Amino acid sequence: MKRTVSLLFIAALAALLLYVVANMPPMGDPANPTATHVIPRYLENAEEETHTENVITGIILNYRGYDTMGEVTVIFCALAAVLAVLGRERRGAIEGFVDRSEVVSSTIVRTMVRFMVPFILLFSLYTIFHGESSPGGGFQGGAIIGGSMIVFTTIFGLAESSRRVPQRIRAALEGAAVMGFFLVGALGLLGGGEFLTYAWPKVAPGLQPSLVVWLTILVEVGIGLGGAMVLTSILFAMIREEEIATAS
Amino acid sequence: MTAKEIVAGIFCCIGTFFFILGTTGLLRMPDIFSRLHPSTKCDTLGACSVIVGMAVYSGWSWDLLKLIFIACFLLLSSATCGHAIGRSALRRDIPYWRRQDEGAKSGDGA
Repeated sequence: MKRTVSLLFIAALAALLLYVVANMPPMGDPANPTATHVIPRYLENAEEETHTENVITGIILNYRGYDTMGEVTVIFCALAAVLAVLGRERRGAIEGFVDRSEVVSSTIVRTMVRFMVPFILLFSLYTIFHGESSPGGGFQGGAIIGGSMIVFTTIFGLAESSRRVPQRIRAALEGAAVMGFFLVGALGLLGGGEFLTYAWPKVAPGLQPSLVVWLTILVEVGIGLGGAMVLTSILFAMIREEEIATAS
Repeated sequence: MTAKEIVAGIFCCIGTFFFILGTTGLLRMPDIFSRLHPSTKCDTLGACSVIVGMAVYSGWSWDLLKLIFIACFLLLSSATCGHAIGRSALRRDIPYWRRQDEGAKSGDGA
């Protein structure tokens, strides 16, 4: 009886939802309200209102600043969950860490990685700092830094890698994305504006455009550094787990 | 259509042809060592031809410098990847492919 009632209820709910879905505007139709109102509104006013040439950056950091702040908080929470389950790598364990694979990675690969990683890091900085005027931004740049750390750690091992990016630096910078957002938001409040509007109406009205650009870049740098450190810490935590598993 | 566009188009077509060749080889070859051959060599050649085509199209500009950088990094990293995959396959004693009916006769290879 109970099951029949719940089945009926679910069926009714499914029918209702399917009916609503059937009445939604067709996907990708140029006549949709999103295509006729929302997109032209952004494209026409974004550069003037957000002072960023890249409209996408203007949307995710300015119009939808709260949303992006939530996203970086989710990334930070993901790291917290990974560390809660796996734990951070212990310093002693890293010092005693030896590469257990019997084959040392080849000289060619080591030389190439040592040669390429600085260029990859340079490219990531370019991606982060040009995020407001060209494709790119903090998320992409941070992922590139994290990727270069994965390559470096795979070839040179955890000990070398964690000597380059010590635990205390990572611990300090993991929250950089969230902190950057809150810092810029709080500065906006102090400057007489609203949270995350990137404008300080009470202070130096003439400086407004360049101020907005610099604050946007500050948030981008925070997202980039924070994202890179989160990826690196998750990688190190997972390696430590594997090392203990092979040792036992 | 100017001469520049035609030359650029020819180079891009050559590159695409080698891409198709490399992909076919990757799908059709029997084992990892023979798959490395089309995937690394033809990939590099294909991508470099496309880059040469784009360089011809862009002419003397900053884009040309960027394209040269891309070609350099592509050549370096592609060769290194091929080397790393081949070496680790060799170290892991992944068996070579041999034709079934000749397997008994040619046991001296490798």
